[in-house]
Amino acid sequence: MPHDVIMPALGMAQDSGLIVSWLKSPGDAVKAGDALMEVETDKATMEVEAQADGFLTRVTAAAGDTIPVGNVVAVIAETAEAADEDPPAPVAESKAPAEAESEPAPAELPDGKSVIMPALGMAQDTGLLVSWAKAPGDQVAADDVLFEVETDKSTMEVPAGHDGYVAALLAEAGDTVPVGESVAIISADKPADPQRRSAGPSAKPTAAPSDPAAKTEEAIATKATAPARPSPTKAAAVEGVILASPKTRRLALEEGLDLARLAEAGHPQPFHVRDLETLRTMPARGTGSAAPVEAAPARHLSARVSSDGLAGFLAWARAETQGSVDQSTLLAGFARASLRSLDGNPDPVIEVETLHGSTRFPEAAEDDATNGKPDLILRDLRASPLNGLRMGAEAAPVLTLVQEDETLTLTLECGAGQLDARAAISLVSGFAGRLEDPLRHLL
Amino acid sequence: MREITLSKAVNEAIAEEMRRDETVFLLGEDVAEAGTPFKVLSGLVEEFGTERIIDTPISEPGFTGIAVGAALTGSRPIVDLMFGDFLFLIMDQLCNQAAKAYYMSGGKLNVPMVLRTNLGATRRSAAQHSQSLHALVAHIPGLKVALPSSAYEAKGLMKTAIRDNNPVVIFEDKLMYQDKAPVPEEEYLIPFGVANVKREGKDITLIGTSSMVQVAEAAAEALAKEGIEAEVIDPRTIVPLDEETLLKSVKKTSRAIVIDEGHQSYGVTGEIASRLNEKAFYHLDAPVVRMGAMDVPVPFSPALEDLTVPTVDAVTAMARRLVAGEMIHAA
Repeated sequence: MPHDVIMPALGMAQDSGLIVSWLKSPGDAVKAGDALMEVETDKATMEVEAQADGFLTRVTAAAGDTIPVGNVVAVIAETAEAADEDPPAPVAESKAPAEAESEPAPAELPDGKSVIMPALGMAQDTGLLVSWAKAPGDQVAADDVLFEVETDKSTMEVPAGHDGYVAALLAEAGDTVPVGESVAIISADKPADPQRRSAGPSAKPTAAPSDPAAKTEEAIATKATAPARPSPTKAAAVEGVILASPKTRRLALEEGLDLARLAEAGHPQPFHVRDLETLRTMPARGTGSAAPVEAAPARHLSARVSSDGLAGFLAWARAETQGSVDQSTLLAGFARASLRSLDGNPDPVIEVETLHGSTRFPEAAEDDATNGKPDLILRDLRASPLNGLRMGAEAAPVLTLVQEDETLTLTLECGAGQLDARAAISLVSGFAGRLEDPLRHLL
Repeated sequence: MREITLSKAVNEAIAEEMRRDETVFLLGEDVAEAGTPFKVLSGLVEEFGTERIIDTPISEPGFTGIAVGAALTGSRPIVDLMFGDFLFLIMDQLCNQAAKAYYMSGGKLNVPMVLRTNLGATRRSAAQHSQSLHALVAHIPGLKVALPSSAYEAKGLMKTAIRDNNPVVIFEDKLMYQDKAPVPEEEYLIPFGVANVKREGKDITLIGTSSMVQVAEAAAEALAKEGIEAEVIDPRTIVPLDEETLLKSVKKTSRAIVIDEGHQSYGVTGEIASRLNEKAFYHLDAPVVRMGAMDVPVPFSPALEDLTVPTVDAVTAMARRLVAGEMIHAA
């Protein structure tokens, strides 16, 4: 396959190079890496190496010529004779075999010198051909503007580079053409049959709209990715922005707490870790709330045990003490023991509520009853006619005791942030066990 | 343990290494008889002679270039750059040559050179002799940057720098030369890339470099009286940076202030704060705050100059606000 030798960009802002001398002659065998010619730029003189093995043919520039960067100055062919046999611009065809096969075979390209897409920027691989300034058959001078190119950075006019006639235009306005690709042929004599065609498929890496294959591919790609993209507006359930530290957000997420509730309650922002304490103790959102916010779920657990155990124990205690037993103290003791065993809190505070009032245990905790919340509220409603209830979470976990006939029903309600599932289950089980067989737990 | 000045500590480090290794020599302006304007090198020329303690003409690019060449050919030069501000004169020798020779030679060439210079304002030296330009060289891959915060660090880091096979820039704070600290008689080295936790605390991390370590420590002391426990960390070298120790601390305290005497914009504080934000984001309960020098040329007026650098009061006040959960720069 023939290989173009082009004027390389050796400097950062170089647009042409002066060929000082050729180090190989037309017809010479060359190996990749051999120095072919010497080029002088603003800054230095450098040797340009062959990029492929073969024979140097079709040398179109002589020592002393100043050649625009990107222009072909010679071709390395497979045979020394290739120069005479090959059509003048085999490059465009060889680089676009697909075009040659899929479309009606194009007419032989006319003789002449190739004009290629120049490298105008430092890292440019393609140029968009904006418009042609000449039509096929027009006479041109080397300095005449032949076409206009748009790159990432700017739009520039490109001169013909050779005197002669436009024998062929090989790309259309709107085509994106790789740097180095031939876009026109300038012939010395007036062409009999000037040609005009568009750049081959290989010259349209971004799929020009006229290319149906590429279009289909693009459509498939769009279809495949479109449904996978989540709607960006879906997450915003609460209006306004909540200001909270990253750590607060992480902990809230881990504990299933909803910062929006703090915001709704008018708690001052930004929220920090310490504000989660407030959030944990907030009563669960009422079920009637219309807000679509996902509230921290409330826990509701209940257990039934026979009242025999407790009744028997109370009778025994009354006989032993020859008087009344403070049932609240007894129940608080059970609750304290149950709590202790689950989270290691050595001194949990229990508030026992009865129909007559409430008492805190241990009694020392009575003093700061106004500042702190208890670890557990024990609501003893055995004397009431209630036989079940669902109240929702409160400031502290609530354990309610109701009685129907010979059955005690124990219900724990709390926020998910107050007790995790395991703790809630152990608390109810532990307390139920103690009610069922108080003596065993005392022993 | 004996206490010596930072100046004496640097002098000892250089003298010990010059005795240990005869390829070590020092060059710069006014380094021999004058012993530098800060008298750091007094006595060295008497012991090692003018062949190894070399007074040069006033040409920073010239003598730095000589040092790079000497380092490439087997010596271990110490370049004395009288003021950190003169770094601007030697950017090519330091950043294009010294920093890149190892890389560009595919590891065949080393530049075992130490550039010792200084930083620090509030010495009434005006805008061209008061800058803290360590961020400038820390930005260049291939240069290591050490910032000793006391006589102890100054000695240990200098000895490590002289033995390092790559270019190291050491910035001493020019206000600390007479500050004393306990320094062992026996030999020791301080490895690069190992931060020093100067004080432990759980509420906020104060990361200080060079003289700002003292500022951080004083702020921590003031905060302790208010019941705020600040952790103080001295990275000691900013290249390499001991990220692990910083992250561990910030994950514990959830808050941090980074204090450095370089200009705040595009500086060391920004780099460290950014790494903490990236790598400890979900552990932060407050924004990581930068406290650097004001983005102005250092004023000559004492009253104005003192306002440009982070102070104990400013750090204490900022720490207090962060711990209280106040909104910092947020809308």
